[in-house]
Amino acid sequence: MTGSKTIKSAIESMMFIWGDPLDIKEVADIFNVDKKEIYALCKELQAEYEQEGRGIVIREVNKSFQFVTRKENIGYIERLCTPVKHKKLSQSALEVLAIIAYKQPVTKGEIEAVRGIKCDRVIEGLMKKELVAQLGRSDAVGRPMLYGTTDRFLMEFGFETLKDLPEIQDIEDVLDENEGEQEDILYTEQIAIQIPEKE
Amino acid sequence: MSYRVKLNVFEGPFDLLVYLIEHARMSIYDIKVSEITGQYIDYVNKMREADVNVSAEFMVLAASLIEIKSKMLLPRVAAAGDGVTELTEDPRTELVQKLLEYKRYKSISEMLGERYEESGMSLAKTQEDISAYTGEADVYLSLDADKFKNAFEAFLIRKKKIEEIREHHKRSEKQRMTAELRMEDIRLFFADRGKEQVDFRQLIPKKDDKYDVALTFSSVLEMMKSNKLTAEQKKLFGDILVKPMDNLFETNAADDRDDGGSN
Repeated sequence: MTGSKTIKSAIESMMFIWGDPLDIKEVADIFNVDKKEIYALCKELQAEYEQEGRGIVIREVNKSFQFVTRKENIGYIERLCTPVKHKKLSQSALEVLAIIAYKQPVTKGEIEAVRGIKCDRVIEGLMKKELVAQLGRSDAVGRPMLYGTTDRFLMEFGFETLKDLPEIQDIEDVLDENEGEQEDILYTEQIAIQIPEKE
Repeated sequence: MSYRVKLNVFEGPFDLLVYLIEHARMSIYDIKVSEITGQYIDYVNKMREADVNVSAEFMVLAASLIEIKSKMLLPRVAAAGDGVTELTEDPRTELVQKLLEYKRYKSISEMLGERYEESGMSLAKTQEDISAYTGEADVYLSLDADKFKNAFEAFLIRKKKIEEIREHHKRSEKQRMTAELRMEDIRLFFADRGKEQVDFRQLIPKKDDKYDVALTFSSVLEMMKSNKLTAEQKKLFGDILVKPMDNLFETNAADDRDDGGSN
């Protein structure tokens, strides 16, 4: 059996040549060892790059690993590779993506119910960008298509897995902080309506 | 109150409504329906005045607002038997739920936007051509049907574009030699139709090709110079009417070519 030091070194070389995120399953097959072991080695390697403050770091995308440049260096890279092209997603694309990410698998109808407006075109655009994919059909009436996010979504938004998405509750707490006193208004108003009726 | 905002800021009716409610410093839990309905409808009207194509969804929400507004006027107490009165649900509840849900996803979308920008700061190399290390390239061809279809479509589009460019290139080279032939075409055109006055546009075979239009125009000017045609234009940028002169029918094609050649 190959030593873990050798495997780690090999993983590094493989990642370099592969470019795209390298699936640990594939690596595990090559060394004929357990996926978990490979995963642990990848994580080790990732930590080493991180600690040493290298210009290249390792990014995890859904149990695949890939070399990427260090965020802090983006300014220098941009000065080398000019003119810079900034990727942008429209507000509506981000909204639809947010709904799909948190409600997946989700139908177009459900997305439209949240936004109050049609979004066929937006979904189409997201599918072209490979951020969203069709997952199959729902058993509901009319068997509508179900949508979900892709690995590319994880990659481009810097999530390791879908579990990495912040809890909706956390985001809501921020919202609620702003609404706190307004809830009181609702409360007092309901009482104000009830009292005259009881008399 | 004026709320001049770039109109395309709003991503849908909920977006607009949330904006109006926040702008009026109203609580989302205690919407003053009458006030907000007025503002909402005003805004939708403004959008229509500004020639924005207001989608039906904006109208649907306007209708629901009006419905809620009218329900708010009714007493909200119903008899539930045994002299017990029951407070019926606030007609705004459903709308509030929807707005809250929309706001939730809107804030998620803002979070995602930030993440997108941040993770765009680490760059990855795409997979390069690794065929130099492999014997058979298709060993690594792990495409699913969709990806394959997309790639093929992209190929077709690229091919079409290249062909278009090539086509254009070819055509303009050919056209460069046909200035004289165009005059001959015009002569034949009038030989067919007699001496009636025609719109300049009728003389252009391919109206969407700039080169063709320019070529025809200069040919007409050339023929006017040699008194074969007259043309008039009643107002600036108006229609140009072209009329043949006797001269046109007397000369033959060979003369035309000579004229063209000498100029």
